[in-house]
Order: sequence, then C-alpha cells, then structure tokens
Amino acid sequence: MRSKYERGSEGRPSVPSNDTRGTRSKRSIFRRTVFLMAVCGVLMFIPLAWKLWDVAIVHHEEYQSRASDQQTLDHEIAASRGKIYDAKGDVMAMSATVYTLILSPNDLRKSVPNKDQDGEMLEDDVWEGEVAAKQEKVAADLLQLVPGLDPERVDAQVHAIKYSYREIKKNIEEEEKEVIQRYIVDNKAASYLYLIEGSKRYYPYSGLASQALGYVNAEGGAVGIEAMYNDVLEGSPGRVVTTKTAAGTEMYNSYSQYVDAVDGYDLHLSIDATIQSYLENTLEEGIIEYDVQNGAFGVVMDPNTGAVLGIASSPDFDPNNYSKITDSILNTKMEENAAALFEKYKADNTENLTDEELLKKAEDQAYYSAVNTQWRSKALNDTYEPGSTFKALVLAAALEEGVVSESDTFYCSGSVQVPGYPKPIKCSKTTGHGSQTLSEAVGHSCNPAFVEIGQRLGIERFYDYFEGFGMKEPTGIDLPGEGSNRKLVWERDVMSGVDLAVASFGQRFQVSPLQMICGFSAVINGGKLMKPYVVQSVSTQDGTIIQNTEPEIIRQVVSRESSRRASEILEKVVSEGTGGNAYVAGYRIGGKTGSSETTEEGRTIVSFMGFAPAENPQVIVLIAYDKPQESAANPKVGTCGTFISGGNMAAPKAGPLIAKILDYMGVEKEYTAEESAAVDVSTPRLTGKSLADAQSALSKSNLGFRTIGSGDTVTSQIPAAGAPVPGGSTVILYLGDAVPQEKGIVPDVTGLNYEAARKRLESAGFFMRASGVSTYYGNTTTAESQSVSGGEEAAIGTVVNVGFFNVMEDGSVGVW
Amino acid sequence: MARKPIRDLTLEEQLARGPLDLPFLMLVALLTGVGLIMMFSASYASAYYDSSDMVRNNPMYYIQRQSAFALMGLAAMYIVSRYNYQNLRKWSPILLAGAILLLVLVLTPLGYGKKTVGAQRWMKMFLVAGPGFQPSEIAKVAVILFFAARLSKRDTEKKKKFTRRTTTGRCLNWLEKVGFLELVPYGAVLAVVIGLVLLEPHMSGSILILVGAGAVVFVSGISLKWFIGAAAGVGGLLALVIRFTSYMTARINLWRDPWLDPRGDGYQTIQSLYAIASGGLMGLGLGNSRQKFLYIPEPQNDFLFPIVVEELGLVGGLLVLLLFALLILRGYWLALHARDKFGTLTIVGIITLLAGQVFLNIGVVTNLIPNTGISLPFFSYGGTALMIQLAEMGIVLSISRQIPAPRKD
Repeated sequence: MRSKYERGSEGRPSVPSNDTRGTRSKRSIFRRTVFLMAVCGVLMFIPLAWKLWDVAIVHHEEYQSRASDQQTLDHEIAASRGKIYDAKGDVMAMSATVYTLILSPNDLRKSVPNKDQDGEMLEDDVWEGEVAAKQEKVAADLLQLVPGLDPERVDAQVHAIKYSYREIKKNIEEEEKEVIQRYIVDNKAASYLYLIEGSKRYYPYSGLASQALGYVNAEGGAVGIEAMYNDVLEGSPGRVVTTKTAAGTEMYNSYSQYVDAVDGYDLHLSIDATIQSYLENTLEEGIIEYDVQNGAFGVVMDPNTGAVLGIASSPDFDPNNYSKITDSILNTKMEENAAALFEKYKADNTENLTDEELLKKAEDQAYYSAVNTQWRSKALNDTYEPGSTFKALVLAAALEEGVVSESDTFYCSGSVQVPGYPKPIKCSKTTGHGSQTLSEAVGHSCNPAFVEIGQRLGIERFYDYFEGFGMKEPTGIDLPGEGSNRKLVWERDVMSGVDLAVASFGQRFQVSPLQMICGFSAVINGGKLMKPYVVQSVSTQDGTIIQNTEPEIIRQVVSRESSRRASEILEKVVSEGTGGNAYVAGYRIGGKTGSSETTEEGRTIVSFMGFAPAENPQVIVLIAYDKPQESAANPKVGTCGTFISGGNMAAPKAGPLIAKILDYMGVEKEYTAEESAAVDVSTPRLTGKSLADAQSALSKSNLGFRTIGSGDTVTSQIPAAGAPVPGGSTVILYLGDAVPQEKGIVPDVTGLNYEAARKRLESAGFFMRASGVSTYYGNTTTAESQSVSGGEEAAIGTVVNVGFFNVMEDGSVGVW
Repeated sequence: MARKPIRDLTLEEQLARGPLDLPFLMLVALLTGVGLIMMFSASYASAYYDSSDMVRNNPMYYIQRQSAFALMGLAAMYIVSRYNYQNLRKWSPILLAGAILLLVLVLTPLGYGKKTVGAQRWMKMFLVAGPGFQPSEIAKVAVILFFAARLSKRDTEKKKKFTRRTTTGRCLNWLEKVGFLELVPYGAVLAVVIGLVLLEPHMSGSILILVGAGAVVFVSGISLKWFIGAAAGVGGLLALVIRFTSYMTARINLWRDPWLDPRGDGYQTIQSLYAIASGGLMGLGLGNSRQKFLYIPEPQNDFLFPIVVEELGLVGGLLVLLLFALLILRGYWLALHARDKFGTLTIVGIITLLAGQVFLNIGVVTNLIPNTGISLPFFSYGGTALMIQLAEMGIVLSISRQIPAPRKD
C-alpha cells in the first residue's frame, strides 16, 4: 500500500543505483518508524500505566492517609474541667486557659533569608552573621516581652539550632498571651515562635483542704476529690477537623467536622471553707504551741448526716504548686532524713557511687517520702489508736445492752489486774479515782472502770458493737485511699480477755480517724452509723443539679435512748471531767479526750472528740496532734510545759474551735445560771446619779461596786457607760472631788486561782474576763494566760482576758 | 491571499489544499481542552494564595493567560497547517540559524530567569517587550526541521570522494565509506545547539532536543551501529557520572526513596505521590484536589498530572494517557503515510519529541524515573510553549494535507 503512495509522489527514478538505494531506504524508514510507533505509542505507556496503578490503587491507603494527615488540622477542643465549690458556693478549685510559649531555634535560623534583596545568594559567613544578629534580637525581645525570664537560659535556647522545640515559658495567662500574640504577628515570627494552649488548675484558697481537694497533674486528678471525681470533673474533649493548605491556613473550600466538647461537671462540697480554715488554724496553733513533730489531723462533720464540713491533715501542701514542700517542719525533717540516708548509703556503698551521686540519691529518696507525706491525708489514709475517745462507744454499747446504768458505781484503785496479763493495768491517775458513778468514771476517763464495763459486755457482744460502729469496714466516704485496718484489729475468734480489757479503753487496735468520728457520731446522733461524704451535689456548669447526695444510714447501732443517755454522760466529761479544757461558756459541748500510745518511743497521739450542742448535736469535731515533743526531763510533759494528754492539749484547742464553728453556723448560745452570771453586761450610766440610785442600777445589772472619795453624787465611773464588763465585776464609782487615774500597771495573775486573780486585778482598777474551763473552784484550776501581761501599763478599767486551765490526769497508760 | 481558481493551481498547490487529518486535529483539540480545564483547576488554589505583585491572589490569573495563548496557538496551528510545508525545506537552515542566534542572545542580558529559577532560559518575544518564551523551544523544532530537510535528500546525495594519494584522503574515504562523515554536520549542529542550551543551563531542554533530533536521524536510515555506539557512550558516561558525583548519587537515592528528605528534595515527589494516591480509582472529583493547596509546589507546571489523577482518579489519568497514546499513534500513522520523506521525518521528530515529553513528565510524577523537570504538553502552564506546541501540531497537519487519498475502487 505504501509503495503505491511513494510511487505516486516521488517515484521519478533518476539514477538506477539511487533507485535501489531509495527503495531500501524507504523500507528502512518504514520499519524504523513503525518501531518508534510501537515504542512511543504503546510500550512507553505500559510502565507509566503500571506505575500509576501502583501508586493510585496499590499504595492508595498508605499514601492517602499520610496525605490526609498533612492536609487536616485536628484541633482538640479542651473540655473545661468543672469547678469545685465549697458548701457556701465559694470556688475552691477552678480551671483557666494558660499558654506555653514555644520557640523553635531551628526555624528561627531558617527564617533568616539566605538571599539578598536582588535574589542573589548570600555568602555563608554573611548569612551566619545575620542569623546571629536575629538570634540576639529575638532573645532581647523575649526578655522584654516576657518578664522574669533568665537571660542565660533564653540565650542558650535561641542558639540551640538543632532543636525545634524549646519551652520559653509555661502558664502564660490571657493578658500576657495577647501581648505575645501581637508581637508574633507584628514581627512575622509565627514560623519559629508560637503559643500552645493548655489549662491550669487554680486553687484560690491555696493550701486549704489540700489533701481533700487533691491536685491535677498532666494525667488528670491525682489525689483527693480531683482524683475520685476525675471522670465527673473532666468532661470529654471535642475535636475540630478542618482541611488546611500547606501554609497552615484553611482551604477556601475547607470542610470541617465538629465534635463538641462536653464540659466537666461542677462539684459542690459539704466542706465549708470557713470551718475548714478554723480547723486548720486550730491544728497549726496546736502544732506550734505543743511542739508537735508528726503533724496533726482533724475532721469536722455533721453527725446527723455524715456530711464532712472540714477535713484537714498537717503537714499540707499548696495544690497550685503541689510538688513543692512548704511545711517548715517537713522541710527540716526531709533534710535530716536526707542526711541520715546519705550516711546509710555511704556505709553500704556497694555500687561504688561518688559522694555526689549518693547525696543525690539520698535527697531524692527523702524528697519522695516527704512529698508523699504531704499529699497523704492522715485523717483518712492513716490509722491511729483511738485511745480513750473509744470509751464513748463502749459506753453506748454497755448502755444499750443494759450492763451498766447511771446509778452503777465503780471503784478505781489506780490499777486493775486482768487475767492473762502479767502486770496490773494502770489508770492514768495512779493513785486511783476511788468510788465513782458511771458518769464520773467516764468523766475521769477511768481505765479500771472501763475494763470492768468491757468485761460485763463480754467478747462476743463487744465485737458485735465493734463491728456495728463500723470499726472494721471502710466508711465509704467519696475520697480515695481510705486506710484499711483489717490487720490492725484482732479477729473475733482470737480476741482474748486481755485484748478485751485494753480495747475497752481504746488501745491495741487501730482505726482511721474517719472511722472513729463516724462511730462516735453514731453514739450521739441517736444511734445511726452514717456514711460520710464530701460532695454534696454535682451540677452542670450552668448550675443544674444532676446528682445530690442524700444522707445514708448504714445501720442503727444503738437505740435513740441509749444514744441520748451516752450524750448526757459525755457532756459531763467537758463540764466536769477530763474534757473541761474544751469548755466554752454558752455552748453545751460534749466530748471525750484521748491519748494514744504508739509503738514508737516518745510518740503519743493526743486527741479530742467533741460535739455540740450536747442535747441536739449539730457538729462533731475530732482533732489530734501526733507526737507532741516530750521534754527531756519528764517524758510525761511536753517541751511546751504542758502535760501530754488529750485533755491538756487537744481539748483546749477543740473547745474554742467548736464554739467558733457553732457561732459561724448561727447556733445560739444558751447560758446556764452560773454562766450567765459571768456573761458580759453593759455598764449602766451612773455619772451624775446619787450613790443610792447607782447602787440599785448596778445590782440590776449584776455588778458590784466600790467607791473612791466621798460625797453623794457619782462624779465619774470606771468603766465608762456602755462598756461591756463580765457580770459580777466591781465597778469603781468616784464621788465628790475624786478624779480617776488615767492609767495603771496590770498585775501578774498567772498561777493564781479564779478568786485571787479577780481580786488582784480589780484592786488595781482592772476587770477580769475568765475563759477556758467550766468551773473555777478547783485548786488545780489556775490562771495560765492574760491578755495584757503583768507589769504592762493599761488604761484603768480595761477588761483583761484571763485564760484558766485545768491540769487533767488523763494521760495514756502503757499497755504495749 | 487572493485565491486562484483550482484549475490554475499547480499539483503542489492542489495537494497543499488537501483535507486536514481530522482524527489528529480532534485529538489535539481534545487534549488542549482537557489540558486547559485541568490547568485551571490546578492553578486556581495556588493563584488564590499567591499574593505576589504579579498574581495578586487572582485565582483566574493563570487560566486567563493560558486560554489566550491557547486561542492564539490554535490560530497559529491553523495558519501553519495551511502553509505548504515543502517550503520549510529551504527555510529550515535559516530557521536553525535564527534559533542558534536566539540561543546566543538569551545568554546576553536580553534573556532572563537567572534570578527566579537560577537559569537563563527566557526571552521577551519582541526582545524588550512582550510575553516571555524559551528559545530552546524554537531550537527543538528548528533542529528537527533542519535534520529532516537534510536527511530526506540523503538517498540522492552522491558519495564524497577524496584523493587516495594522501593519508588524510584515504582516511576520509574510509570514514565516508563507513558512513561517519555524513554524520559530522548533524553532530556539529547538535553540539552547538545543545552546548548553548546547556549553558543556560537547561538539562531537560537538551534531553528533548537530543530525543527529537535522534529520532529523525534514527528513522532516516543511519546505520544502527552509530546509534548503538552513541547509546553506549552516553550510557557509560551517565553511569560514570552517577557513580562518581555525589550530587547524582544523592539524586538516585532520593529517587529510590523520596522519604530520605521529605522536607527538602524529596518533597515534590512525595506530594505528587500523595496526590495520585488520594485520587484512587475514581478521584475526588473535578476541582476537589487537596494537594493543590500549596502542597505540590506550582501545581500548574510540571506537577499538573498528579492533580489530574487526584481529581479524576486512575480512570481519568489513564484516559489522558490514552489520548496521548492515540495522538502519538496517529502521528506516526501520518508519518508513515506522508507524501515524502521530509514529511515523514518531520512528523517523526515532532511526535517523538512529544512522546518523550509525556514519558519524562509522567515518569517523574509517578516516581518511575528520577526528577528531571519537564512539562506536560497541552497541560502545563506556559503560554508560548503551548503556542509553539500547537504550531508544531500545525506542521503535522500541514503534512497530513498532502497525503494522497486512497484510491476508491
């Protein structure tokens, strides 16, 4: 076919030889063109198509997922963590958005163009110079922009060109963030400087209720309520997936997928920040006053519902900065501990470490143990020997079982012999309480009497009540890490008579403070064992309550009647017995002191369990101090000079605490006749009146008087009209020309009994307001403190507060 | 052009008015159309985000220019197709000389491109003004035409005879006998042109000129031994370069595994593979490419085909390949049926050049071969290149006019 065309077009044979050559060449052109046609038109497309197939179909999934990774912008929308409110609605924990400023030193370097304005490549050294200049500038800008940075650190960070992630500053707040953001935009610094959003938990009350609240670390709530309610508080984060261009901006036709974040719920605690702070202050005061070594703990609860109003443990920490050890005693201990560990490691240095490494190891170990100590809530996570406070439970059980009654008498010789125990078990008063009624025995915290009561109950019934009061089970509180005391109490079948005897006054077994306060509550609240709780309700962030905690009765342990009788007897412990130092005029406080020996030499835990008002308890308080330092001379007395016992140490702290709490709760004071006599009265206006009129006005107000000068008309009076003075005080009336002194020297009344102290103050022209104990008549009741020290000058008529103190003989007895 | 009545036309003139090859024309039109659409889609995003003074975030920037050139190109193709290609025989040496002159001029300050891409490849159409073009594009056609014109006379040329008395003469006679001497002018032309193009530097341009010229020489009937020799020489040289220059070694390693440098030199290839793979079988739909959002650098240029596959899928990609294959096959078919040797050789040159460009471009974007930087005909952005491409198609069409119709029995 082809030859025909060829002939038609240029088939003009010129030279015969050329003709044959032409034909051959035509054939060759034909063949070679067909060859190229096959190669370029068909063969060439085979590898192309194969490769396309390979990429588009075979590697489809692999490459496409990588492509979508780079094309999509996956923002996590942080769910806002719920707030924690106290009982009055004050915020105890809240979250806020904070930012971390990140520098990429590597990209900072790359951001310096390596071409000049004309697009010519720069010499390397010129470029390096520009890079260095830019690094200097950025470092200087950062220092100016973010106050408080360490210049050396920033300098090192901008020069760390191998890295692309350097944290300049954490926890940047909104205002500061905006300044930085503006800088980034203005300086086109986004390629190497950027902010990452995060959240920070704030605790406005810092250390208040720290162990109960806990804290939040990178993984979420770590301790306390934050951990227990982490799921509730946390919510679930949302996501936004959008497509982005390679420049990181959104595509003009970008599609987005939103998954809304679900914010966490708010918690409303039963804990009241005010009560909590009263409690913590009381613990701190006592720790300082009694030179307490191992800290303290305290619980305030509503005995009727089990709602925890305050729960504290010292040493505590600041959840805003939870890994820092703030407590000074704990810090000292940590250092001592580190030194001791260092010596120990040094003596046993098998790994041949250098001193520095050993020191580091010792310090780490000491820090670890210290930081765990401050995160622990002693009130909940630890156990202690309840000591005499436990007698209240034994009392209630004995009353319920009818083995004792108020009319029973007990004889105490100072010790009691228990079969199976080699030595006689001593009473805290070694000379013995003699014959005493039941309520006196409780008031004296008499051990032999309680051994007898325990024996009357017998092991079986004792154990029933022991379990009934919840001493062997966790309380079920909504806080994590409740201590288990399974191994710290005897099993029913192995409990011996000796065990029973010592258990009757609260020794040789351990319970957690929370178990103890719940058990004690059951004694006084009508016999119900309540399940304690700290979270009153859970609500959404706009305030809709979604869950409310109802008080839960675990069981009725004793009858209402037995409970009432026990409460009455326990009230007398404060008004007449070892709890006297907890007395506060106007409030009927009941309670029980406790001093617990421990296996550790020189460590006593002194405690007081108090409740008020006695007839209808609104609040129950347990406070305890762990290891008041014994003085070297007399281990019975602390370095502070106070006899180491619950009655001498915990009770005087608990009394005012309970009073303050009741005051705060708005519980009215009710004075007894005796108390009302000493209640402050307002001094009537007497100046200008006749002596007789003045006399009648004063007697109406329950005040005495003495006169200075002579005449019939009162020309002046001390104190001035309207000034409050304690009832029964002696008002000074100036008659005729007598002029009152302006000032006088306050006499020292410490060590005096009530009457002597009052007389001495009044003769010097001052008034006394007594506080501290219920009865001021005993010889053991002496003035311990006065608000204006002896020898100081004060205006005549000043009311001097004098604190009285009763030395209690309720110390612990060694039965270990 | 006053039209003479048909009876007054010479045979030559009558032939030149023959019908265009319709299938070839349709394929060219189809590819130009599809190419424009895809270029529009691919360039839209990159123009949209380009805030430079030239583009000013105008998403229509590239397509407006490209369409204008496409129209001019189609017009040029028509005009060229009406032109009697036989005249090109005598014009070809002048064309070649002009091309070489332009290649020289582009190296003078009249040319530009050094600052933007680091190579002096462009010139203004009217020396100081007008749209830019690459003289190497013109050189490609010029070399093909020159070679075709000269080689088509090969059969009629007498063998050169030299005196047998001198050694030189005897040597020359021997060289003439083995067919070397006739290659010398071609070799010289190629050396000059490629040398100038390499000075720009423009490696891919040189490769294409070599492919086009080589095809013409190959088909013209030059003894295969020269081809084998040249291929062996080039291959050996290439192997040496690859083996002993770290630059080439790195490039080869990167070809085998682009993820060795995902943010640097491997970036383009990786992004291209991502685009192709994202397309899958059916693609994301026209206009829905995501990789064109600045991931693939300048998707309107060399890496346009991945966007085609991403949007139209493997099916779309293969269809485009099929269109090219058909165009190439039809091109060779026309070459086989061309009226004369000159026509055959010209078409073979032009079509092989086109095929080479298609292969090198798609081979690169699918990572079949190492990155070379060759644009895809009819698709890639570049107004003057498209115009010249269409004008070349015009030459093919012009040759197709003179194919005698088969006799009807």
